[in-house]
Amino acid sequence: MELSSEDNNLTEKFLPPIEQESDVELETKVKKYLRGEGANLETLKDKKLKTQLASREKLYGKSAKTAAKIEKWLLPAEAGYLETDGLEKTWRVKQTDIANEVDLLSSRNQYDIVLPDFGPYKLDFTASGRHMIAGGRKGHLALVDMMSMNLIKEIQVKETVRDVAFLHNEQFFAAAQKKYAYIYGRDGTELHCLKERGPVARLRFLKNHFLLASVNKSGQLHYQDVTYGGMVASIRTGKGRTDVMEVNPYNGVVALGHSGGTVTMWKPTSQAPLVQMQCHPGPVSSVAFHPNGHLMATSGKERKLKIWDLRKFEEIQTIHGFHAKTLSFSQKGLLAAGTGSFVQILGDSSGSSSSHNYSRYMNHSMVKGYQIEKLMFRPYEDVIGIGHSMGWSSILIPGSGEPNFDSWVANPFETSKQRREKEVHLLLDKLPPETIMLDPSKIGAMKPSRRKEKPSRGEIEAEKEVAIEAAKSTELKKKTKGRNKPSKRTKKKKEMVENAKRTFPEQGHNNTASKKRRIGEDAAAELPASLKRFARKN
Amino acid sequence: MVGEKRRSTSKNLAKNKKRKGPHLPNSILKTIANEKRPLNSDEEDDEIDSDDANVDLYEYEEGVPEEESRKNNRYDPVVNYDYELPEDFEDENVESDDDDEGGNSDNEEGEGDVVRHTRMLQAVTGMPSAAFDGESKRKPVLFTEAYPESEFNPTRDVLEGKGLLTIDDFMAPIEGKPGFNDLQKRISRMQKDTQAVVHAPLPKPERERLERKAVKGLVDKEFNKWVHMVKRNREAPTVYFNQNVSLGYSTVGAIASEFQPRTDFEKKMASVLNDNELGEAHDEDGAKLLELNEVSVEDHIKYRDHIAKMRSLLFRHELKSKRIKKIKSKTYHRLKGKDLKKSAMGALMDPEMAKEEAMKQEARRVEERMTLKHKNTGKWAKRMISRGLNVKYDGTRAAISEQLQINATLSRKMNSTNDGSSSDESDDEEELNDGSDQDTPSKLIAKAREKTLKTVEDDEVPNSGLLSLPFMARAMKKKNEEAIEEAKRALEEYEEWENSGGEENSKKTADVSGRRVFGATAKVEAPKESRKDSDNFYDNSDSDNDMEGIENNDLRAVRDTASPVRNTGAITETEKFDDDIENPASKTTFDVALFASGSWKKMKGCQNAETKKKTKKHVPYSKSQDKKESRDEESEDSESEAEQMVDGILTSASKETYEIPSQAELIQRAFAGDDVVDEFEKEKQEVLNQEVPEPEKPVLVPGWGQWTNIQKKRGLPSWMVREHEDAKKKRTLDLKTRKDARLRHVIISEKVDKKAEKLHTTTLPFPYTSKEVFEHSMRMPIGPEFNPATIVGSLNRPEVVKKAGVIIKPLKFEEANPNEKVDDEHPRSNQKQNPKKGGKTGKGQRKGKSKQKTKA
Repeated sequence: MELSSEDNNLTEKFLPPIEQESDVELETKVKKYLRGEGANLETLKDKKLKTQLASREKLYGKSAKTAAKIEKWLLPAEAGYLETDGLEKTWRVKQTDIANEVDLLSSRNQYDIVLPDFGPYKLDFTASGRHMIAGGRKGHLALVDMMSMNLIKEIQVKETVRDVAFLHNEQFFAAAQKKYAYIYGRDGTELHCLKERGPVARLRFLKNHFLLASVNKSGQLHYQDVTYGGMVASIRTGKGRTDVMEVNPYNGVVALGHSGGTVTMWKPTSQAPLVQMQCHPGPVSSVAFHPNGHLMATSGKERKLKIWDLRKFEEIQTIHGFHAKTLSFSQKGLLAAGTGSFVQILGDSSGSSSSHNYSRYMNHSMVKGYQIEKLMFRPYEDVIGIGHSMGWSSILIPGSGEPNFDSWVANPFETSKQRREKEVHLLLDKLPPETIMLDPSKIGAMKPSRRKEKPSRGEIEAEKEVAIEAAKSTELKKKTKGRNKPSKRTKKKKEMVENAKRTFPEQGHNNTASKKRRIGEDAAAELPASLKRFARKN
Repeated sequence: MVGEKRRSTSKNLAKNKKRKGPHLPNSILKTIANEKRPLNSDEEDDEIDSDDANVDLYEYEEGVPEEESRKNNRYDPVVNYDYELPEDFEDENVESDDDDEGGNSDNEEGEGDVVRHTRMLQAVTGMPSAAFDGESKRKPVLFTEAYPESEFNPTRDVLEGKGLLTIDDFMAPIEGKPGFNDLQKRISRMQKDTQAVVHAPLPKPERERLERKAVKGLVDKEFNKWVHMVKRNREAPTVYFNQNVSLGYSTVGAIASEFQPRTDFEKKMASVLNDNELGEAHDEDGAKLLELNEVSVEDHIKYRDHIAKMRSLLFRHELKSKRIKKIKSKTYHRLKGKDLKKSAMGALMDPEMAKEEAMKQEARRVEERMTLKHKNTGKWAKRMISRGLNVKYDGTRAAISEQLQINATLSRKMNSTNDGSSSDESDDEEELNDGSDQDTPSKLIAKAREKTLKTVEDDEVPNSGLLSLPFMARAMKKKNEEAIEEAKRALEEYEEWENSGGEENSKKTADVSGRRVFGATAKVEAPKESRKDSDNFYDNSDSDNDMEGIENNDLRAVRDTASPVRNTGAITETEKFDDDIENPASKTTFDVALFASGSWKKMKGCQNAETKKKTKKHVPYSKSQDKKESRDEESEDSESEAEQMVDGILTSASKETYEIPSQAELIQRAFAGDDVVDEFEKEKQEVLNQEVPEPEKPVLVPGWGQWTNIQKKRGLPSWMVREHEDAKKKRTLDLKTRKDARLRHVIISEKVDKKAEKLHTTTLPFPYTSKEVFEHSMRMPIGPEFNPATIVGSLNRPEVVKKAGVIIKPLKFEEANPNEKVDDEHPRSNQKQNPKKGGKTGKGQRKGKSKQKTKA
């Protein structure tokens, strides 16, 4: 399934660089499996904890090293790429040239399906890349098995189809039609009509959360849980109509591009956008996310393509003179941009994971007059699917797909039994919608400090009143003769009320002082003087 | 010896107190005295003696007059010291050879001491040394006795414990007597034994301190040898207990083989079991066994009595049941029946039975509602009511109310068995009933037919689960067919009934309400035909073959059911089936035209709903039919379709052609980029104001602080201004610390997501003390999906590994091996434990030895 044929007499080579696994290489792999740096244990004062954590870190290191060593057996295939000699440029290589060099199986992935009647086609692939759904503007829905090139089902809904999306597997797909969105089964039966959303412009499925996200014509964003059908969130974006919508695969955040040049990012549990970015001065025409979630590509109608670092929310590259109607990142980080009848593939030439420099990698121009509607890289294949006004096409882009598939994640050769089992596993592993956040690695960490931690003044006062009332209404015990005098009783009562008041500290005075105090100091302050030296200092 | 020294000095102090002159506070003096005392002087015996001499000497040399000392009565005279007396007693035994020497040395020492002492006192008190001279040049005091010495007035010596009798004094008289030598020897031995003088114990705190010091060293040493083990255990990620301890026998047989009878019973059993005779008898033949199997007379009698008792019980029970059978009381049987029913209710949980019961109940209800038998419509009841006898007599009233009760129970609906829609319908019918009671039989028929129809329609084959299996599906199909046949027959019957009864009905209705009757039959015919036409489309799919019949039936039936509705409710409907087929795109526009005019406007909503419901039933069919049809005639359809649907552009144009943007949008698009940046900035400001609100401006309460002009000029009180300033400062700080503070083009919401809060910990989990370390440790997943199998075990090993049932013994000492590294790979047993073996000590010992070897 991987484009990896060796040819040395021609300009392009798809070389799996089989090199001696040097220490450096192993180290980089180990780094990958270590998932970041360990904490600095020197700051710890507790010796026991320190040694225990140190031993744990050692285990992690061991684990990472073993994993790195095993990797070559588990991930045997290497991603292919185009290599040129001397003055040859990779973007001069045509699909016909590639077709001459690759094996038969791969060359079968270069084709055009001409369906002139049903207008521009939207595409979607399943996570494994095995199946594709194509939705023609004029109501043609086709489910295709990409491996055998069989047409599994084809239906004509006789309505405008604005978008199509697979649900968690190829058994279900959703189509945004003229009035409502519908969910169809694999055999083309209509399973659900999603009336609540109104006329849907774009559909995306969040496969970890089982949420079907859609934005409708009036700019409302809907999240619907497809497991039980409940509408999880319905959000008014307030930015007008949009048909630019993409899901960040890393964290499940949905990004919308608006006509004002802003890109907004949303999660279902908040009505306000997580992030708003002014990306372009003109309308945003498309958005795409790198699979690792750190990069975002946007293109505006002012003929600029920008690449953003989502960790810093900074622009890292601007590519001028290019307006992309559709953008797509491949699994290996190639960026495809399509306008008119022209597809451009940009590759990250810097090579390192920290800095990015996207430059031309390949070009492909369709037959004149074809209008590209949707580009999407096929997962686990070096193939990009192009949905256009005259059907759909598929071309080879060496080095775009992940060469090794993980059958636990997505298996292109899945049997029906495996699929069923997978479905159950997916459902068991379903994430609740609140886990969608900008930085999902923060889940399980300490709660971020809240800005407004204290109860408001009114709340405190209400509480105080309640406490005072309670103190006033307490019945005093009958005491012996001398101590049961009314004066004594009133005195006692007064005292109780005072005590109740005292539990609520005076407001306004100690606010600043207490805030300055840190947590550790707080603990120390509470202790009596004699025990202060035992207070834990971090 | 230390105590000795101290005694002397303290005595000096006692003397001091009697003297005049500058005095230090008592406590200081004491401490000074303590300071002076040398800690390790060797000649203890000497000192003691010299001390004695000194004391005497001092008494004589004391030059200060007694009166003066009395006059200066600032201190209480110290009569005695605690540790003086025992000391002196001991002293007597000590032989003093070198009085002078000791005295001299003491004096010399004393001289030196005195000099030092005065110097120190000078330093402490700041007084001239002359003031302390008296101390050093003190003279012993001479006491003159006022009374002659007698037993009533003992000498001072005696009083002070000096000049007491010694053992020698006692010995002297018996010198030369028999046994004297012996005694002498013993005494001398005793004296030798007491050579080492027991001195006064140190003050308690000091003694304890010393003790502690000594003990600490020992304990430290003792404990330090454990340190390495403790450290190792504390730092070990996992502690193992008794790794290789065998837990004993694993099988029941093994346990049984070791069994020794202990109690009497066990012994008895064992004796029987191991009886050779019995074994032999068993082996040889059964006859001998019989011989052995003797039954004692008592046992036999017991058995016989038991049998007799049982028989008598049985007999009594029989009698009782006979008597019960004979009872003819109605109430008794009714109560009994009730009980039975109650128990039967349990059986009714079985759905089949329940259904049957429900059906019966339904029939009874219908009957009741038709006849109104229990509504006191009878002759007797009417009479009773008309004459007011029901009020008069309790019995009558009770009977009548009972009748009503029965009616209520009978006519109560059974909701549980019927589904919602049918109950709705029955509701409707009830309403209808109110209007026209005479219609009931026809209604009943209609209802029954509807029910059958519903059941026929509901027979959908589930497409998943157990029922979707092929053989199940086949069986279901068969069943369905049978049911459908039956339903057909039933429907026909209904029709017949209705034809006979409906005519009457119509006549009746005409009589009663004067409603017009429409010739509905003709109108119904047309759609039926069209439906049949449409059914032909199904022929290509064989799976639908058997469904066809049903549909036909259904449709006909539905049509028919519609007709009585028209009769009663006067609703005409025309359904554009033809239009439908021609215009397949409009799947939801299944038009139902309701003509209601003039007098028929009064029609009831329920009827309306009913008809609608019926019409809705068709929708799915028409839909699916549409699709099928479209498949067949796609080429024709699509053309017309395309023209219909989209705004008519087939050429490959960009997407904008499909959606005509609104005017405002067009303008916005045209002038996009003009002020989007400004707009964005404004928006950002808004968001910031919302998330970090600006502090409220301090406002003066009118009249507050405005008594005089001066106050007015002063403006706001300073604290208000200060507070406002603080709030402002805080806000700017907050704004600065925001993530998007430096990014002009970005707004990052810092709202706290309450729903996501449960995904964070509020406190640090136990061993961690710093947030960073904790969060870093969280970065690595430890599950088997993310780690190589070789590491997963050690990543997830629990803190303590222990076999169940093993007793954890206290830590045993092991020699430290400083070079040994803690090896996590190989589980290390913290305590070696010998397997418990009852009598076999030898084995255990051997094992222990071998372990020791391994340890070494």
